[in-house]
Amino acid sequence: MAPGEKIKAKIKKNLPVTGPQAPTIKELMRWYCLNTNTHGCRRIVVSRGRLRRLLWIGFTLTAVALILWQCALLVFSFYTVSVSIKVHFRKLDFPAVTICNINPYKYSAVRHLLADLEQETREALKSLYGFPESRKRRDAESWSSVLEGMQPRFSHRIPLLIFDQYEKGKARDFFTGRKRKVDGRIIHKASNVMHIESKQVVGFQLCSNDTSDCATYTFSSGINAIQEWYKLHYMNIMAQVPLEKKINMSYSAEELLVTCFFDGVSCDARNFTLFHHPMHGNCYTFNNRENETILSTSMGGSEYGLQVILYINEEEYNPFLVSSTGAKVIIHRQDEYPFVEDVGTEIETAMVTSIGMHLTESFKLSEPYSQCTEDGSDVPIRNIYNAAYSLQICLHSCFQTKMVEKCGCAQYGQPLPPEANYCNYQQHPNWMYCYYQLHRAFVQEELGCQSVCKEACSFKEWTLTTSLAQWPSVVSEKWLLPVLTWDQGRQINKKLNKTDLAKLLIFYKDLNQRSIMESPANSIEMLLSNFGGQLGLWMSCSVVCVIEIIEVFFIDFFSIIARRQWQKAKEWWARKQAPPCPEAPHSPQGQDNPALDIDNDLPTFNSALHLPPALGTQVPGTPPPKYNTLRLERAFSNQLTDTQMLDEL
Amino acid sequence: MLLHINPACLFKLLHGFPPWIMPTDGNLGGKNVQMGKPGHREGATMHVKKYLLKCLHRLQKGPGYTYKELLVWYCNNTNTHGPKRIICEGPKKKAMWFLLTLLFTALVCWQWGNFIRTYLSWEVSISLSVGFKTMDFPAVTICNASPFKYSKVKHLLKDLDELMEAVLERILAPELSHANATRTLNSSIWNHTPLVLIDERNPHHPVILDLFGDNHNGLTNSSASEKICNAHGCKMAMRLCSLNGTQCTFRNFTSATQAVTEWYSLQATNIFAQVPQQELVEMSYPGEQMILACLFGAEPCNYRNFTSIFYPHYGNCYIFNWGMTEKALPSANPGTEFGLKLILDIGQEDYVPFLTSTAGVRLMLHEQRSYPFIRDEGIYAMSGTETSIGVLVDKLQRMGEPYSPCTVNGSEVPVQNFYSDYNTTYSIQACLRSCFQDHMIHSCKCGHYLYPLPRGEKYCNNRDFPDWAHCYSDLQMSVAQRETCIGMCKESCNDTQYKMTISMADWPSEASEDWIFHVLSQERDQSTNITLSRKGIVKLNIYFQEFNYRTIEESAANNLVWLLSNLGGQFGFWMGGSVLCLIEFGEIIIDFVWITIINLVALAKSLRQRRAQASYSGPPPTVAELVEAHTNFGFQPDTAPRSPNTGPYPNEQALPIPGTPPPNYDSLRLQPLDVIESDSEGDAI
Repeated sequence: MAPGEKIKAKIKKNLPVTGPQAPTIKELMRWYCLNTNTHGCRRIVVSRGRLRRLLWIGFTLTAVALILWQCALLVFSFYTVSVSIKVHFRKLDFPAVTICNINPYKYSAVRHLLADLEQETREALKSLYGFPESRKRRDAESWSSVLEGMQPRFSHRIPLLIFDQYEKGKARDFFTGRKRKVDGRIIHKASNVMHIESKQVVGFQLCSNDTSDCATYTFSSGINAIQEWYKLHYMNIMAQVPLEKKINMSYSAEELLVTCFFDGVSCDARNFTLFHHPMHGNCYTFNNRENETILSTSMGGSEYGLQVILYINEEEYNPFLVSSTGAKVIIHRQDEYPFVEDVGTEIETAMVTSIGMHLTESFKLSEPYSQCTEDGSDVPIRNIYNAAYSLQICLHSCFQTKMVEKCGCAQYGQPLPPEANYCNYQQHPNWMYCYYQLHRAFVQEELGCQSVCKEACSFKEWTLTTSLAQWPSVVSEKWLLPVLTWDQGRQINKKLNKTDLAKLLIFYKDLNQRSIMESPANSIEMLLSNFGGQLGLWMSCSVVCVIEIIEVFFIDFFSIIARRQWQKAKEWWARKQAPPCPEAPHSPQGQDNPALDIDNDLPTFNSALHLPPALGTQVPGTPPPKYNTLRLERAFSNQLTDTQMLDEL
Repeated sequence: MLLHINPACLFKLLHGFPPWIMPTDGNLGGKNVQMGKPGHREGATMHVKKYLLKCLHRLQKGPGYTYKELLVWYCNNTNTHGPKRIICEGPKKKAMWFLLTLLFTALVCWQWGNFIRTYLSWEVSISLSVGFKTMDFPAVTICNASPFKYSKVKHLLKDLDELMEAVLERILAPELSHANATRTLNSSIWNHTPLVLIDERNPHHPVILDLFGDNHNGLTNSSASEKICNAHGCKMAMRLCSLNGTQCTFRNFTSATQAVTEWYSLQATNIFAQVPQQELVEMSYPGEQMILACLFGAEPCNYRNFTSIFYPHYGNCYIFNWGMTEKALPSANPGTEFGLKLILDIGQEDYVPFLTSTAGVRLMLHEQRSYPFIRDEGIYAMSGTETSIGVLVDKLQRMGEPYSPCTVNGSEVPVQNFYSDYNTTYSIQACLRSCFQDHMIHSCKCGHYLYPLPRGEKYCNNRDFPDWAHCYSDLQMSVAQRETCIGMCKESCNDTQYKMTISMADWPSEASEDWIFHVLSQERDQSTNITLSRKGIVKLNIYFQEFNYRTIEESAANNLVWLLSNLGGQFGFWMGGSVLCLIEFGEIIIDFVWITIINLVALAKSLRQRRAQASYSGPPPTVAELVEAHTNFGFQPDTAPRSPNTGPYPNEQALPIPGTPPPNYDSLRLQPLDVIESDSEGDAI
């Protein structure tokens, strides 16, 4: 016999009852408690006295409960993020810069389309507010005389009305001057925000197809009412004009840009790409990756950024559509759609607007950490823009799609979805009512767009610091304006005025890029090691203990019960076979081993296993004391060799 | 580790070791004991002797236990949870537990690898704090947009201005200026870097036309084409030539405005570079004229509270609260009333007309003791308005190496900081500019006028360095130069930005205009008439916002405590182990090594013995013979006749002397062990 095996056999012999062989559940529990690696259980068995035992049971159960609670907390807080901010100093890509004139089309070019509308607007102004004809610029035209024999096209369709607060449900049509009955709802556009104190309010009525369902929109000020009214008609008219014609009516790049300078190098109109916006006309985008390269700057400061001088011809402004003068600038990513009407910085004429940028990049983690989308592919809204996904694109696309669904035509301010037309009177006579209803529902979040659209996970943001200075200065004006006129001489034939010009500087203040990044705060390793920490802290337990518990409580436990039941069934069957059984049933120990006397001692290895006494112990009646503690202590040194020697001799 | 252990303690320690270790460890213990305290020298030598003896015994007799016994002992006694199960279960469960233990060990190793990698990636976590506290008011630098008073520099720029006017005339009305180009112009300036027109109407043969038409292409040709040139297809360009005029490059412009502006500023740079700085300071705007009124909080201040600094682009700049000589002023309250209020006079009428076309004040907020790079980071304030600037201090504090690549004071950056003369702190802007100036001196042999000069170098000018403009233009456009500089300069670890909320209003209002101008004129010029105008004065309010700081501070995301607790967590989770278990494991490894050494010694000995037996050439004894030889002492093999020439076995003498008990394999091996053990026990007591 090899010595290793011998020692092993010895250990095996000295070990108490092993798990599944334990005859009773109590025995099994006792065995488990004594041999488990967790710390609490052993104390329960070893302790003396009921109070101590109860205390230890309490401690152990508390520890188990604490472990479960802490581990549950760890699991629930698994999907949290930690944020890190990094700063890089490096060469930065210059953003795309879109520049628009605030006025969309040259008024001289579109005037023939809008002549009727203009006349009616003037007439409306006259009859509503009664101010005398005192337009300086355009009074050469005697439009009032033209009005005499003309049928009011626009007012007939959507009449402008004056409401008297004291006469509910009555309104005065400005054109005919007659009072007419107004039924249906009256929606005050401004009433939510402030009280209307004037007695008279102006508004217009929009009706649905069958003209029975009408809604009247009123405004606190006539300026808003007339601008809204004008805009509605304007959109109607422009929706019917083909795109090429509109582009020709708007400003060309050579006209808009007098000089251009980027990173110390001259640039010109060829560096700008055309982008036609329905409400802002021709816009020009600088650095729009048209030849696959994105310009970048390797120095901060205004001289290394974009410097442009813009020609803003105030004479060509549409008097009713826009009431401010200047240009609009949007700084955006190359693949982003410039929402000119929503965001953008307005720049003033006869000024230099210097815009210093700081770049901040943000990266968020998508599902399951937060509700954001990487590229919009998981959002059930079709992107009608030719640009990368953003929340705004999603909202606009959602609205436009709903508009096509409900009203049958598309709104003019946004791109066309496939197989749809822009709304106009001829084909969709009552689209305005539909549009207003839909717009109200959209704003009140009834269309569900806001809940469907998710924000994008990563985005770049340019923080702008805008400051203004006078330009040109008094002394430099004298030489600067003629030279600029000479520069622009190819396009226009007039001497430039300083109010026709605006200078714009866009530059990186410094090349520090801040990146805000989210990263998972917990990894699976961290979770496991936290589990390990908790288990170890409270009970000195590990996965091995968990396996033990499964083994003991789920396999051995049930196998003992099953064995018991099987034995009972067998006994019952045996009794049934031989019903007269005078003797009392023997205890199992007594049956197998008649030599063993059953006393009140703790069961030993042999007695528990129902084994006959070991061969070595030949001396009858003197069994060595077999307390577990005794045995385990000297399992190896002297006792082992002693018995060995005894055997050999 | 055992160096300072008392020998007696050592024995007690050794006594606790598993029995087969005792003699083998003697060697190790002996060495240590020899180095022990001198007082125990005698006892120690005795112990050493004993140990060496035991060691010798052990080496002679072979290891007390086998590898297997060692393993079983380890498994049974280790504190890690898995191994115990391996030995005390049945064969099927044994296999399962063996696999499980291996699996868990592998898992623990893998996870440890992950954690150590994470730790070595030096990640940082950030903490963000926002609020209001009493902070040092930022340093405020203000400059006039025009560097010099025109009335003071007129004599320097006289030739250049005349030339400029002539150029403008030529551009705007070519025919006219030909007729009355009678003025005497300084042709040396012009001939150095002339402006030319490039006629690109024929894209294959661009025609270059000198603006004055003197030296190129003849008069007839140029005058004819210039007339048409205004309309379309003509570009203005600046000709930059190196020393002998052989190598020329053209810097093209798409608009005449840019061309003449760039040309003028290049020439002006050249002129000012030759003037000593003291004179330039005097030609610029003095503080007492520029700063009309100043109020910080409730306390009045004046131009003496400002530090003057000469900035080549903007002339004299004035820095409030720079903190160079005196303590920085704190501001303890948010709002306009507790900030800095300034009224400035920019004197727009006295601007140099061709040098700057923008009128206003350039201002910048920066940290105390840092150099203001106002051209890059400054903002404008407009004349005739009141500009209110709400300030939020946005601070980013970083950890430095190895967490983030940044530098605390710039000492490890391989670029000499030319701004160190100003005694300012390191900033990446200063580094980039120093780097550019360094390159400039290297390739053009002179320093650029806009950047500070290292000792012993001169600023570039046309007289001493005729081809500097060509060289500078090349260098400025060179992307490689910029990228080397960006690569060399490191960002500073503390990054402070001042976030400004700017709003403007008309000032003075029409009603107050009259008295305000009267008072200011009286104070400045002691005149009863109004000497100021709306175009010349600027009002500034700079104050802290309601939340005046936002600090982002980095801290190590994974420190050593984190690493240890996670390593412990993993080991505990899978195997219930701790550091002590690792030590146990190491102990077992040492035992392994010792057993191996002892085995090897035994093997070598047996080899030597076998070599000694090699003289015996008879056939090997059969098993039966050997058994008989060991058990039956009277037994004599009957092979003598088969090998007559050899005598009895050479090792016959080694046979045990009769009378001793028959050798018992196991007990033979174990007995000496027990003897030694009891010996050592006796010694220890």
